[in-house]
Amino acid sequence: MASELHAEASPTGSSPWGLALRRLRRNRVALAFGGLFVLIVLFVLAAPLWADHVADTGPNQTHTLEKIEVDGERREVVNVEGKPIGPVWLGGGGKFFLGADGRLGRDEMVRLMYGGRASLFIGFAAALMTTVLATILALLAGYYRGWVDTVISRTLDLIWAFPVLLLGIGLGIALALGGLAIGPVEIPSGSIWITVLIIGGVLVPYMARPLRGQVLSLREKEFVEASVAQGAGPLRVMFGELLPNLSSTIIVFFTLGIANAMLFEAALSFLGVGVQPPDTSWGSMIGDGFNLISSAPLLTILPGTMIFLTVLAVNVFGDGLRDALDPHSKVLLEAHSGMAEPEGTAI
Amino acid sequence: MRKLGLTLLLPVLAAGSALGLAACGGGGKEGGTLTGSYASFPDYLDPALSYTQEGWTAMYNTYLPLLTYAHANGSAGGEVVPALAESLPEITNGGRTYTLTLRKGLEYSDGTPVRASDFARSIERLFKINSPGSPFYEGIVGAEKFAKTKTGSITGIKTNDKTGEIVIDLVKPRGTFSNELGMLFAAVLPSGTPAKNITADPAPATGPYVIVKSEPGRGWSYTRNPAWTRTNGDLMPDLSAGHFDKIEIKVVNNDSTQVNEIERDKTDWMQPPPPADLYAKVKDNYEGTQFRVEHPINIYYFWMNTTRPPFDDVKVRQAINYAVNTAALERIYAGALAANHQILPEGMPGHEEFDLYPHNMAKAKELLAQANPSDREITVWTDNESPNNEAGAYYHGVLKELGFDATLKTINAEVYFSLIGNASTPDLDTGWVNWYEDYPNPNDFFQPLLSGESIAPIYNTNLSHMDDPKLNAKVAKLGEEPLGPEQEAEYAELDKAYMEQAPWVPYGTNTVSTFVDSEIDLDKVIFNPTFGHDLASFERK
Repeated sequence: MASELHAEASPTGSSPWGLALRRLRRNRVALAFGGLFVLIVLFVLAAPLWADHVADTGPNQTHTLEKIEVDGERREVVNVEGKPIGPVWLGGGGKFFLGADGRLGRDEMVRLMYGGRASLFIGFAAALMTTVLATILALLAGYYRGWVDTVISRTLDLIWAFPVLLLGIGLGIALALGGLAIGPVEIPSGSIWITVLIIGGVLVPYMARPLRGQVLSLREKEFVEASVAQGAGPLRVMFGELLPNLSSTIIVFFTLGIANAMLFEAALSFLGVGVQPPDTSWGSMIGDGFNLISSAPLLTILPGTMIFLTVLAVNVFGDGLRDALDPHSKVLLEAHSGMAEPEGTAI
Repeated sequence: MRKLGLTLLLPVLAAGSALGLAACGGGGKEGGTLTGSYASFPDYLDPALSYTQEGWTAMYNTYLPLLTYAHANGSAGGEVVPALAESLPEITNGGRTYTLTLRKGLEYSDGTPVRASDFARSIERLFKINSPGSPFYEGIVGAEKFAKTKTGSITGIKTNDKTGEIVIDLVKPRGTFSNELGMLFAAVLPSGTPAKNITADPAPATGPYVIVKSEPGRGWSYTRNPAWTRTNGDLMPDLSAGHFDKIEIKVVNNDSTQVNEIERDKTDWMQPPPPADLYAKVKDNYEGTQFRVEHPINIYYFWMNTTRPPFDDVKVRQAINYAVNTAALERIYAGALAANHQILPEGMPGHEEFDLYPHNMAKAKELLAQANPSDREITVWTDNESPNNEAGAYYHGVLKELGFDATLKTINAEVYFSLIGNASTPDLDTGWVNWYEDYPNPNDFFQPLLSGESIAPIYNTNLSHMDDPKLNAKVAKLGEEPLGPEQEAEYAELDKAYMEQAPWVPYGTNTVSTFVDSEIDLDKVIFNPTFGHDLASFERK
């Protein structure tokens, strides 16, 4: 059955997706930031190449007592006062391009690239998890209403009642030591998946509640009644009729969710409960660099800039995507959560 | 293990004292308020519970034991001197009986007289609240039973409130017992002090200052103890009355801010050393005028659990000792740490320098190949305070380089020691730790850290689970003897014997520093090697 989105097909015959793509192409700013995001992704994907073939070191390999040749001069990676070498650019033949990360003398460029992989992976995975869970819960609550809605909504309210960062920190501390075991699935402490689960879990209410509102609204539409009249069961209605009509909102939420999850990861890692040492992420690099902010401010500025650029790129592209997919909708940013909520759907 | 130190509150000071303590006179300005900052709130402001140097510094001049340590710098600060007791104990019965007499006329800050029986109640309180210091007093007759029942009294402590006499009977001789009577744990509190943490509700004091306000997590403040002016000061003339009328300590979580506030004359003193990032700059700019390097007695090391593979093989442990480069760790501590590859640190009686395992990665790999451990999966523990976390990361890297499948666990410093000291914590294979002396006796490094007796289900200090019967017996025998040249030589041999077993990778002795405002007379500031800064010695120029 045609969805509302499909029903908006233009008189010229273009599909709604084709129209959205055309609108997106016209939004140069969104495309530029989308391109920036692609560049960042390529940058972090190239980490092993840079580490193996240029820097000749791993992200966790220490060089505390080593000296390197920079433009013909032997220089200590970490001096006797514990100050790491600064950026040597190409003077060291690619080694320590951005200097060393601190008293352990690890290559900052290599760690920046590997840290970006962790940050982006967590951003994507957590946003995906949030999106899937939130969509399912919203469909169930909005479609069935009644006690199902009450149970789901109150549970979400309960999670929402906690300050999200404090909840994340609490879970991070609790799971940092013993890991997590759910039935046969065991996630060891220190695994990056712990961080994904924490972020993906605590952000669910911020997406599920506005989606539920939309489901409640869509459920009363004629096309749903028609589908039911034709004998469609609940699953068919939820996933065959309602879900396609939520797709543009979900896509927008997902892109914005990546940015939110990355910021959340940065905060958790900065506070020591996100990505666990010796692995790194941009957030934990800021935390590590903070100890040396007076003598080596670049160690904080570099990962901070990467987070800023990535979040900006994802947000601007996400806004462009929203405008392209549904130019009539207005998505309001909730100041306190950073998550978007479609107008008029809060219940 | 943690930064502990024994605090003795009795400093000496009388003007002209041969110990050179901070004396009262000297022409400095008297009165006003001394302001200081801590990077974090001490573990406790309860003498029975605190087991960190930060806590002991805070209570150095408030809660006095019968004996204390001279308020002096360096080795002079290790001398046991009388505090609430009239004199040092009379030791009889082959070292099993200690007799002391309380000074007459002592009062608490609330005006209540100090009684001999308060000492017995204070020791009993240690057991009632499961004080980490209670093991020091388990050798008193009846103490073990009291620890189990927590009712009645410890039969080995007899007191007479009329005469002030206190007689302590020990199960067996203990050469370090005078030292232990001077620990803050043995501070005398009023008999009615509740058997619960009094951090937020401080007890009346006997020393020159009394804590009048305590806001855990935020700070605390002192005023002069009225009882000190009335009676106690005259009765203990060797102790400094202090030079400030009030002392205000606040918690400033950012150590760079702490440095900044001293430079801007907003606070007079900061408790921890300046952060590594600013250390060199502060040292260059202020050494000799506002900054001084101090040398507490301590050891920083990596422990290896000798009961779990692969560390149950001495060759593996020796290999790791060869692999760790103490010079790299010196660099990681940015010059604040002096390399030391043995149990006893420099400055501790019995220390004789040696290094059985000079850095040699080839030798390490050769030994490891000989051992060929089948289990190479290990967990490395460290806390999250810089640069200890970096030391842990370095050690983790070394183990990976040796071919171990090592996982690094970095734990919040506030819970780290209780976590690794708890036998129920899984995967306690190896990790970072430090130990600051409780008192200047080498037994304090062997008995709690390496004797089989010290292996405990909680608050375990023997993290390597070292339990060699011959070495245990040697430690126990030396522990019963008063320290002298003969014993020092035996401790030096013991040091080598333990390092041959390689339960640890000791890597250095850390320094701390004094950094004060320009108006404070740096030369007058006392840093006791175990208790840290003596706030009563601070004086304006």
